[in-house]
Amino acid sequence: MNLLEFLKIALGSFSTNKLRSTLSLLGIIIGVASVITMVSIGTGAQVQVTNQIGAMGSNLITVSPGFIRGGGGRISQDIADVFTLEMAKAIENLSPNIKHVVPTSTTMGLAVYGGNNVRVQISGVTPAYQEVINHYPLIGRYIREEDVSNSEKVAVLGSEVALDLFGSENPVGKTMRLVIGGRTLSVKVVGVMEPKGQVLMANYDNRIYVPVTMLLNRGLNSRYVDGYSIMAASRDVAKAVVEEVQAFMTRMLGDPDRFRVMSQDTILEAVSQATSTMTLMLGAIASISLLVGGIGIMNIMLVTVSERTREIGIRKAVGAKRQHILIQFLLESMLLAVIGGILGLGLGWGGGYWISKALSWPFSISVPAVIIAIGFSAGVGLFFGIYPALQAASLDPVVALRYE
Amino acid sequence: MSTGDKVFVADRISKVYTMGDVKVHALRDISFSIESGEYAAIMGPSGSGKSTLMHIMGCLDRPTSGSLYLRGKDVSSLTDGELAEIRNAEIGFVFQNFNLLPNISILENVELPMVYAGVPPKERRERAVRALEMVGLGSRLHHKPSEVSGGQRQRASIARAVVNRPAIVLADEPTGNLDSATGAEIMELFDELNAKGNTIILVTHEREVAEHASRIIHILDGEIARMEIRKTNGRGTTQWEAVEV
Repeated sequence: MNLLEFLKIALGSFSTNKLRSTLSLLGIIIGVASVITMVSIGTGAQVQVTNQIGAMGSNLITVSPGFIRGGGGRISQDIADVFTLEMAKAIENLSPNIKHVVPTSTTMGLAVYGGNNVRVQISGVTPAYQEVINHYPLIGRYIREEDVSNSEKVAVLGSEVALDLFGSENPVGKTMRLVIGGRTLSVKVVGVMEPKGQVLMANYDNRIYVPVTMLLNRGLNSRYVDGYSIMAASRDVAKAVVEEVQAFMTRMLGDPDRFRVMSQDTILEAVSQATSTMTLMLGAIASISLLVGGIGIMNIMLVTVSERTREIGIRKAVGAKRQHILIQFLLESMLLAVIGGILGLGLGWGGGYWISKALSWPFSISVPAVIIAIGFSAGVGLFFGIYPALQAASLDPVVALRYE
Repeated sequence: MSTGDKVFVADRISKVYTMGDVKVHALRDISFSIESGEYAAIMGPSGSGKSTLMHIMGCLDRPTSGSLYLRGKDVSSLTDGELAEIRNAEIGFVFQNFNLLPNISILENVELPMVYAGVPPKERRERAVRALEMVGLGSRLHHKPSEVSGGQRQRASIARAVVNRPAIVLADEPTGNLDSATGAEIMELFDELNAKGNTIILVTHEREVAEHASRIIHILDGEIARMEIRKTNGRGTTQWEAVEV
């Protein structure tokens, strides 16, 4: 007796019990659909976050001070000595794998133009920064080398800042004021950045870029920067660059705790770890409904077995062995589960697609998730089918034939 | 033990059911044999043990003690799986309530024993069709059991019983659910089958049914009470003659 014969029997018994089969299918359909939907939302979120990290700039490595152990609220002198503008050049010369090193200094300040003012993040950077973070001016120009060497009082506005301060006016060429700490600086707007939107925690459109030298000399009256943004020559060498920079900084500072080197990869790793945990959790929660669906199948199969006791008796009387009955009923429950799984997959696919559209996330469904969902529902059918099938197979033919 | 051309031999078989502390002897040391091609009837009132005997003869159940030989093979201590194979190959059941599967066609019902015997689908179909034609149901192949009359259902179940060419056909009250005219037709069918060489054992409480056989074994209280064989005299009248148990 081959599998095809058993399949025929199983399908035959579905068609005689349409309502009941449909109801038990429903449990599995909902279970698989929710697993697929949840996992696709999770992986969609992951793709979304990964894209955003990619949008932060390619091959980006950042160096920042670690524990700052200064006395009396002042930064300790040796760190200040290291995080200087000159050090950027020293790092850049470390290796041909390093394309750009941008010393950065950031502070919060007030931007004022006419009757408008807006609180902004003021980032002191060098011209290479546009390439490092992959963010370019839409109109006007970016900060130039001579702006940096001359500490020019020029600024490039984020798109939101430009809109808030200037409305429909063209800000390029206008003079505005920046209030940093207690000082007020008049700066000339030379450009407006293209909108980039919210990327993870950072809003790039709510920033003002100024020459780093201008911010340090005229605004903060300081010699040291917050850190360096390094662009590796390519993604492949990013890891090597991290190691080179780490070695160099350790030489300069002695203690590796006193600075932090982060690459896009390390951020990516941390974030994708977080999102996979979320995906897993969503999937696990949804699996509960699959489990409930499985229990539904078991319930139906138990009813089926007791209702078909006579059929089992007849089959045994004409020569069906224990294993024939076992396989017949197991196959029935597995078939229920797999058909439910396939229908649930379709529904979950649609649901995931719809939700990701609604959230304007990328829609992502992984082939392994599909295989796992179908395999898992077959497993559910097997697991929850075993007990009823064993019950059926172990019926005494004499008793089963007498059953009314 | 040599069983000669006896298709079925029961050697001192007993069946004891234990219900709590009470032991019920359904069969006590029963011995008899059935010749190949014989037409026998087992008669007895309800509770006599004839159903138990039928279950044991049909390999649906095992005796508590004693031996059972089917075509010379001892079947009294086989496993469930081996018994299933014996039922499949050597026993054809005809039940009082037909016991056809309701959701499949008559043809598929007749195919069922061959499905479990592993007969290829094409041969299966041919043999099932032939068996159904033999019992006069050639035009009802694709009907469900519920779509035909009781007599036709019993014909279908007879076709199912003989389709695997079993050693014995065991018919348990085959006319019990039929009106007398239909019952008579069914009994004629059994007579024909026997004439073609099938070994048939009728289990019944009706004298009229039992008299189709050539030998009647009377069971009472789990024992063989008496046996009768048919004698036909010169004028063609039938007499029943008691023989030694």
